[in-house]
Amino acid sequence: MSILLDTLLVTLIITCFLLLGSSRLGACIRISALQGVVTGMLPMALEDCSLLSYVTALGIAVIGLKGYVFPRLLFSALRESDTSREVQPFIGYMASLFFGILFLLGAFWLDTRLDLPVHSSSSLLVPVAFSLMCSGLFLIVARRTAMNQVIGYLVLENGIYCFGLAVVSGMPLLLELGVLMDIFVAVFVMGIAIYHINREFDHIDADRLSALKG
Amino acid sequence: MAPLMLGGISLLLRSARTALRFCAAGTLATAALAGFAALEVLRNGPAESAGGWLMLDALSAHHLLAMMTVFCLSALFAIGYFRDEVLDGRLTPKMAGRYGGLWFGSLAAMMLVLLSNSLGMMWVGVEASTLMTAFLICIHASPGALEAMWKYLLMCSVGVAAAFTGILLVAAATGAAGLHGVDALLWTNLMEAGSRLNPGLVKAGFIFIVIGYGTKAGLAPLHNWLPDAHSQAPAPVSAVFSGFLLNAALYCILRCLPLVEAATGGTGWGRDILVFFGLFSILVAAAFIVMQRDIKRLLAYSSVEHIGIMALGAGIGGAGAVAALFHLINHSICKPIAFFCAGRIGQIYGTHDLARLTMIMRRAPVWGAGLIVSLLALVGVAPFSIFLSEFLVLKAAVDRSMYVAAGLFLLGLGVVFIAVLRHIITMAWRPEEQPSAPIKFSAAEALLIFIPLGVMLALGVWVPETLLDILNRAAQILGGLS
Repeated sequence: MSILLDTLLVTLIITCFLLLGSSRLGACIRISALQGVVTGMLPMALEDCSLLSYVTALGIAVIGLKGYVFPRLLFSALRESDTSREVQPFIGYMASLFFGILFLLGAFWLDTRLDLPVHSSSSLLVPVAFSLMCSGLFLIVARRTAMNQVIGYLVLENGIYCFGLAVVSGMPLLLELGVLMDIFVAVFVMGIAIYHINREFDHIDADRLSALKG
Repeated sequence: MAPLMLGGISLLLRSARTALRFCAAGTLATAALAGFAALEVLRNGPAESAGGWLMLDALSAHHLLAMMTVFCLSALFAIGYFRDEVLDGRLTPKMAGRYGGLWFGSLAAMMLVLLSNSLGMMWVGVEASTLMTAFLICIHASPGALEAMWKYLLMCSVGVAAAFTGILLVAAATGAAGLHGVDALLWTNLMEAGSRLNPGLVKAGFIFIVIGYGTKAGLAPLHNWLPDAHSQAPAPVSAVFSGFLLNAALYCILRCLPLVEAATGGTGWGRDILVFFGLFSILVAAAFIVMQRDIKRLLAYSSVEHIGIMALGAGIGGAGAVAALFHLINHSICKPIAFFCAGRIGQIYGTHDLARLTMIMRRAPVWGAGLIVSLLALVGVAPFSIFLSEFLVLKAAVDRSMYVAAGLFLLGLGVVFIAVLRHIITMAWRPEEQPSAPIKFSAAEALLIFIPLGVMLALGVWVPETLLDILNRAAQILGGLS
């Protein structure tokens, strides 16, 4: 079982790097869907789960949401808007990949420093969770299109979900609550679709700061 | 539960005006219930229900009273504010119905934050209130409002995610204290466990919680969404944002403060974090107020300043916590009034640009005078109660010999005072380019503005016993009071 778990975790890291390095929004959506499915399979791969049937149901819900519902919604929103690729991200793709590597190293370092009561058979789970969280935040800050920011949020959320799995296996309620964060994603996508938010919002652009008059 | 049902009904209402009236009536009814519950708590001590999942103690009762004041004032004001927009069709019945639904939805969400005993449910409340209020910003879907909404949603959802990570860490810390299962996250259980919690994990969790909820509370440097959202939302919504939404998020931080203190053995580690964020917010807000050119953004930065003062007071602890809670009440009464007046003046002048708002006292007597008086109260002019609470915070800081903090606090307040006074003088007395006739106003509107300001004045001179009692008991929960 541990091999299965490690395989899943490595897949998560690889999808993360793919997201950091690709510019086509359609490809990004597919990769994030794959990542969602893998995240959903994680609880079933953890061997020390006492509430197996319950966790399986939760996993299926997560897979359904992140692997099917969100990609569908995102694709339909993508068709509505006329953007198909990220034109000029704040931080280029090579630099993004470099940051991704830094996050991974930092996550392993942090894991050795923190003394977390981890209930898992794989020592990879916590570092992977940290690096997913960092990469998600990075995607939100470093990309301009609303679509990519939503995908970044999804990655962040997957990271938190993994972290929750590692730390609080005794409290399925918390994991359930974590799934509630998906509502935000749904709302984001609705926002894009309904209000046609396809133009770029420059959150941290210096030009904007002067336009907003302090 | 009552607000949820009311929200459902208001979605069905046909006429815009009835929807707004219904909002006001429903809010008042909920306020009566909440007031009754709060008084019950004061008489009989903390109340629990739903198997310990809901809890009302002095701290939440205090916040509940402040919240209902803000919501009642805003709901009453909304009737007048939207009247013209209803008449010329800019606010359709469907929009008003949606507004009502979201209004009660956010009321219910914030109530959940205050009433829930479990950190998890509290988090759900914060998340729900973020979603509900996001759509209140863009009732009028202008590009500016949409951008403000997007920024708000994105920043606060990341913040909420960070807070969730913090809660996970706190949950991990309960393992060492022998708490298991779903009851482990109940605040009362955590407080009992106190020093048995794993201090390292609680500290890490508290950092995430402060950053996460601090984003929503508008603590600098996490406040970037705030001026945009406040300036783009309609005035009653801005009032709710500023008057209570920020406090609801701060409340979550304050709830966790005694936990951290208990877990770290009262070293004041958590308090120092709050003092830092508080001072930083005051100074950043002061800098932005100096160069502000938009009245609603000015008020928004003033909210950042006041949230900073509350965080500072709570961080000082003891008498500072009492002062911070008193300041919360004062701010929650005064800030909505300032937003109401600014909103109406914005409607009259068609702009929020400070350079173009001139002679406001002559052209719009009630709103102009109301705005100027409430701005004076907000910067802490003497007879108003904000002066009193700010002075008490300062005194608490000096008593604890935190002279650096006290000095920076005074510096921030001084800068804000001078900057706002300069804006007030131009607004009130700079001659108009084209003189125009004064706007008519109704007696009800004047009462709505001047009764709360009168209350502020009265509180500045004399604080009733019951209020002092509430403040003391609530501050005891925050700890540090002998």
